[in-house]
Amino acid sequence: MRKCLVINLDRCTGCDGCVVACKFENNIGLGHYWNRVVTVGPTGTHPDIEMYWLPAQCQQCENPACVHVCPTGASYRDAETGVVLVDKSKCIGCKYCMMACPYGVRCFNEQEKVVEKCTLCSHRTADGSQLPNCVVCCTTGARFYGDLDDPNSDVSKELAKYDEDCIHRLSDDAGVHPTTCYILSPKVAAWKELS
Amino acid sequence: MPGVFSRFANLISKARPQSKGALNETDEAHAKAGVDRKEIHTICHSCIQACPCIVTVEDGVVTHLEGDPAGPANKGGMCLKGLAAQHTVYSPRHVLHPMKLAGLRGSNEWEQISWDEALDMVATQIATAIEKYGSYATWAAAGGGGNYVSALSAGWPYAYGEPAQMSPGAIQCYLPRSCIAGIMWGGDNQSAADSSLLEIFNDYNPQMECLVIWGGQPSVSQTAQSGHGVADCRVDRGTKTVVIDPYMTPDAAKATVWLPVRPGSDSALALTWIRYIIANKLYDEQFCKYWTNLPFLINPETRFPYLAEEIWPDYVNPSADPNEVYSNPAYVCFDARTNSIQPFPYTAPEDSPVDPVILAEVEVNGVMAKTAGQIYWEEAEPWTLEKTGEYCWCKPDKIEEAIRLYTDAKVAGIAHGVATDQQRCASEAPLGVLMLDTMMGYIYKPGCTITMTNKHYETRPIAYWGPMMRDLWVKQYGISWVTGYTEKWNRERVENFEDKEGQAWYMQMMKDKLGFNRFRGFYNQDTTHAPSILHAIMTGEPYKPRVWYDFSGNKLAMMGNATSWYDALDEIDFIIGQHPIITSFHYEACDLFFPMKEWLEWNGTGSQMNKTFMYTEVVHLGETAHNFISSNRVLRRYRELFKPEDLDNPAPLNKGDYSQDSEFTEQEVRDKVAKTFNAPSWEYLKEHQDEFVPKVIPEEQYYCYNQHLEIVDDGLPAGFPTESRKLEPYCTMYLHMSRTGFPIAYPAVWERLETDYNPICVNIPPVEDPTTDEEYPLVITSGRLPYFHHGTMRHAAFARELCPVPDCKMNPRTAAEYGIEHMDWIKITSRRGSIHARAYLTEAEAPGQLWMERFWNPEAFDASQKEPDGGWRQCNINVLTTNFIENFDVKEYDESDPTKKKNPWNLVYGSFTLRGFTVKIEKSERPDNIWVEPEEFEPFMPTLTSEPVTGDVF
Repeated sequence: MRKCLVINLDRCTGCDGCVVACKFENNIGLGHYWNRVVTVGPTGTHPDIEMYWLPAQCQQCENPACVHVCPTGASYRDAETGVVLVDKSKCIGCKYCMMACPYGVRCFNEQEKVVEKCTLCSHRTADGSQLPNCVVCCTTGARFYGDLDDPNSDVSKELAKYDEDCIHRLSDDAGVHPTTCYILSPKVAAWKELS
Repeated sequence: MPGVFSRFANLISKARPQSKGALNETDEAHAKAGVDRKEIHTICHSCIQACPCIVTVEDGVVTHLEGDPAGPANKGGMCLKGLAAQHTVYSPRHVLHPMKLAGLRGSNEWEQISWDEALDMVATQIATAIEKYGSYATWAAAGGGGNYVSALSAGWPYAYGEPAQMSPGAIQCYLPRSCIAGIMWGGDNQSAADSSLLEIFNDYNPQMECLVIWGGQPSVSQTAQSGHGVADCRVDRGTKTVVIDPYMTPDAAKATVWLPVRPGSDSALALTWIRYIIANKLYDEQFCKYWTNLPFLINPETRFPYLAEEIWPDYVNPSADPNEVYSNPAYVCFDARTNSIQPFPYTAPEDSPVDPVILAEVEVNGVMAKTAGQIYWEEAEPWTLEKTGEYCWCKPDKIEEAIRLYTDAKVAGIAHGVATDQQRCASEAPLGVLMLDTMMGYIYKPGCTITMTNKHYETRPIAYWGPMMRDLWVKQYGISWVTGYTEKWNRERVENFEDKEGQAWYMQMMKDKLGFNRFRGFYNQDTTHAPSILHAIMTGEPYKPRVWYDFSGNKLAMMGNATSWYDALDEIDFIIGQHPIITSFHYEACDLFFPMKEWLEWNGTGSQMNKTFMYTEVVHLGETAHNFISSNRVLRRYRELFKPEDLDNPAPLNKGDYSQDSEFTEQEVRDKVAKTFNAPSWEYLKEHQDEFVPKVIPEEQYYCYNQHLEIVDDGLPAGFPTESRKLEPYCTMYLHMSRTGFPIAYPAVWERLETDYNPICVNIPPVEDPTTDEEYPLVITSGRLPYFHHGTMRHAAFARELCPVPDCKMNPRTAAEYGIEHMDWIKITSRRGSIHARAYLTEAEAPGQLWMERFWNPEAFDASQKEPDGGWRQCNINVLTTNFIENFDVKEYDESDPTKKKNPWNLVYGSFTLRGFTVKIEKSERPDNIWVEPEEFEPFMPTLTSEPVTGDVF
């Protein structure tokens, strides 16, 4: 079971709606984000340029560095849903996981002195009744949620519409095997590996 | 707490919102056990659109918003402007009670008063001014975001017997495009933002192969609505897109071809497309021959098409209505079959006696006459790809590629955005853009942008010349020509109109509308020319508007050349503002403030495509009121306290659109909603929404095409509601309007203007030109960001932390010339003033060009500020923009003498330049009283969640 988001960058217009939907849903304070939209580009020289937007949140890695480095077991993979989560009651705020995460998508809650990150809206999704709020609110229908191992899930169906050269994952120098997939067709923009 | 004087900011409570979050799922579930939790369906109105949405309310407090999947356009999406309403409704800035200014304007010292007291005060101010100075002493303004009531504010002044009202939009936004579409084909326009484009949402019968987005930002402006539609087009339906925009907008980034047009050069680019299509014979020739006025021969002296009877006095028009009710003029063309000029009566194309030539110059009655098509060709002919490439800063091969995408498609359409409304070419550019869809025959077909909904003709189509092409003036006042009827029918209708007094009164109103003597196009929204009002305020000529009822928005952030308005405030005796929050305008200008509802507090109905949904008052705080109920109440109080009929200059009561179909209580609104949905009562409807909402027009009825081909009762194809019954890209109505005021002024004949309105697209260069301007060598233009709509949401913490200041986008090469680095603060100066911005370096901008969104800073008068101010001078591009008040007396376009003052306004609409003017820049410092870091916006976080939910005020 590999629950994750698939984000179709051919559709995403960088409106930041998912950022705000996430903040409202998860009661995230000012200056903190479980989800950011990165503007990639424009690359090239005007007017021969291209640009796309990359919403970045927990990549739900198959080999999550955050879980490996956590000294207390606060970062863990949920046995039932397979989702990588933080058990805040166990978190001691050492921030090792923030340093280990190659994608910088965890943030520190100053009030509670714990690390937080995207939960795939587990409070909505765990029982299968609802979708993550960012998926629901996405203004262009660019975000999909589901199990990559289930061919009938929304994520698998969306990926099935595209050729291999349109499907990308964030670069994996750390060998964490992110599951989150991004769809970007070469005709829209060339995928850029971000350092 | 009447009688308590205090700083406004101290009136609000400081309670923090309930934390709901997902941090401790188990605890939350436990906590929720005792919570009264409801899901309520309503409509988002954080912009001018109406996206259905679902609101979660827990113990009376809104805790969650999301889009309603039943929305045919937003399909469940909800943008951050909509989501932000969860904060703004509970914002410490949401004013809940009427406030009277307690200090001087600009002191921000307010005294809470009762609605009774407030209504008395306004009614007294209006009546006193009218008694002393006559009814023209009062006036109204709308627009700017927050409350979208432009139709209401247009009618409201008439109830007091005065014709002046204005908006920062109207002639600067939508009106020109809406007006010319109405004139040219009698139908909807090409605006995506204003719900006129249906086909981008058409899942029912998707046919659009190419969409040209010209100066619009569907993915930014109405993100969850037209943004979603365009994404569906591009990705699901394979629609190719061309985006014409100086800046690489999100839609441009996704486009098949992006043309980064030089700001202000759109009319030239439109001519280039026209030239290319004619030169390469890419137009739909059969459509142009029989469904447009392009083959009509034009009298070179009058500039009007010849009528057959002018050439052949004995000509009998076979299509003339024997009852002389409907008008079907026969024109004159050059006939390819006989190689001669021939009468060209209105018939079905297959029955036409002629084969009209579109491009011809022939002798008619001894003079050489050209067809309308020929006149267009000669105007466009100089605009080769190469010349345009140089003038419009686009690569010729890219222009050609874009045109080919559009012309090679089986069906395509142009979505024409607001950009050209904000330039001097505000009438000419949209005429050219409509000409393109017309030439291509991209009209009234599945996949076009020019279509209409739910339209079925049984008789020859007719068109009214009231606001928004409605029948308001025509029926209520018995004036204005009705297109499609004969002169006899129109004359008799006017002559037999019973209320002669009302007729005369309204004709006078029209004559006295400020600016209407010059800019007759703005009849379309019954508005007036803002600079003409400003001029009247400053000079008292022709009269002095003194009491200002402002329906909405932050005028100091939204009006062009904001400082000129600030400077006029001392000339205005009393100003009433109504809005959900205190903005710069209310801070600096208002003597009295009416607290308005946020949309989460509204009742009403709203439509998205073929479905009608309901606003369901989710909460109600304090004494906030609905925007039209407050103004209705003012009028009622005015009439109760005073007897306007006893005045020397009586306002003819019950004149005007106002109040005849409007409500005075919330219950009346609710009853009306229940009636819309055929529900037994509001209460029943609210509890059983699923049974009644949405109200749906079946798609096969909603989407309708080719209605012009349907045979109607005279045995002819319906055609279009224009004089010729055909599309009129050669716009004879513009000529009429400038010469006599026809058809609006009919039966009156107004003074002929010195310059004809251009009946075709011609190039109108921008007023300020960076290529020749030595003092101000850069051009700046504007557009939208997804975080805000007009002047709204600058107090929404989650929007501001993402977009704290309006970054000025510029090319790194330009920045390097000035030693400016990314995120440096800069000062931008135009001939009107100076502001500050952060420099955002990006190749999305052409060198020499800047881009920046409108802005104001409500934090500038936060209680924490040591030296508070109105927050409209720091980062507001409208300090830099024009209204050309200094050129008020210049009437002619005169490009020949650069030292001479130019008429800077569009001839038809009076539109001034908000985009594409010149500036200079330098490195600078962050201005005072603004916030940049996310944590600084903490004082904007909601504080009113513990406010009790209140009942109706009215």
